[in-house]
Amino acid sequence: MSHHKKKLLQRVTKLRRHEHHPVLHHVHRKYGISRRTLFYMKEYGPRSHVAHVIIRESVKILIIASIISSIGGISLQSMGDKIYSIVPLLILVPAMNNMVGDFGCIVSSKFTTMLYLGKVGQKWWRSRHLHNLFFVILITSFIMSVFIGVAASVIAYWQGFSLSFEVFLKILTIAVFSNLILVAVVFCVSIIGGLGIYGKKEDPNNFLIPIATSVADLLNLVIFAVLVGMFF
Amino acid sequence: MAFWKDFDEILTAEMASTAGGLLAGTLLAFITNKIELIPALLIFLPGFLEMRGNISGSLSARLSSALFLGATKPKIRKNRILRGNVAAALFLVLLVSVILGMAAFFMNMVFFGIFDYRIIYIAFIAGMLSNVIEVPLAVFTTFWLFRHGHDPNNVMGPYVTTTGDISSIIAIFIAIVII
Repeated sequence: MSHHKKKLLQRVTKLRRHEHHPVLHHVHRKYGISRRTLFYMKEYGPRSHVAHVIIRESVKILIIASIISSIGGISLQSMGDKIYSIVPLLILVPAMNNMVGDFGCIVSSKFTTMLYLGKVGQKWWRSRHLHNLFFVILITSFIMSVFIGVAASVIAYWQGFSLSFEVFLKILTIAVFSNLILVAVVFCVSIIGGLGIYGKKEDPNNFLIPIATSVADLLNLVIFAVLVGMFF
Repeated sequence: MAFWKDFDEILTAEMASTAGGLLAGTLLAFITNKIELIPALLIFLPGFLEMRGNISGSLSARLSSALFLGATKPKIRKNRILRGNVAAALFLVLLVSVILGMAAFFMNMVFFGIFDYRIIYIAFIAGMLSNVIEVPLAVFTTFWLFRHGHDPNNVMGPYVTTTGDISSIIAIFIAIVII
């Protein structure tokens, strides 16, 4: 890197945070250094307190996302007796929570990338890439929910739980149904949220994953509790 | 074809991640007699698991960005960016854990009429213990993957949510035993 370039980058790191200084645009245009690199240097440069920046920017969304998930926990607690007595259900809870969170992450990040690459526009329903993603997630979710239902039943049986065929079918139905509903919800949240945030010229990566995963977690627990109430 | 490539990658990652989730569920089933003693634990649990995954995932993602941009090196000592990231993750886990514990306590009181403040202590201790396990694990794995020429972004998401679930349940169990 030339001396002049180095001096310019030092100027960038000394800029005040939140300041959209023209020098950033100039450095990007003249030296081809990506805007993200420049943004990173301004955000976490020598003049900024790294921990303070991270805490200030993420504390609100983390608290909101965690509280939303805890609200889902109320429905779980209301079914506490049934869940504690039917061991496969207890095994299902973290596994399903984990899977739904992963789908929220995958759909949100892939949809954001599609937005940036121009593969999805305002007429998102016509996007071939989005159709592909939907079917990939739908098929994966179906396979994984069957796997989880079977695995939870087998593990519970192995732990000494007396498992009848009827209970096994009910557990499988709960796992499959709740997952299929949630895939649809995750897509709706990601598309509506992603388009809204992108329209406001913000980066959907910073908000969409916590929002999509927490909404999916909340609904997962509510649907789970409703289905447990219906079947057991 | 892009469809089958995506399908293959997502299914493989999900298989590994779900296996971890099932392991966490099995651990939970083993300690049922302990968790039944603490009201509001089922309210607290989903939020705690969510928080652990979000904080460790963001920590890995930020470190990966810094490594790829050359803003930091994969070394532990004299690393300002790493120090700031670790301090922020440790603080955020403790803060959000206590807030979650308080939220679970109030929700339990309002919706189920049970007054039991032990969940707040459990939240704090579990947050502290899960930090001890999860933060070093996330940092060392991100650095290890980067040093070996892998992109940590592709692996760390499912990895931290899975290890986070397991370490969180172990931490909650230890916290219950202590309380």
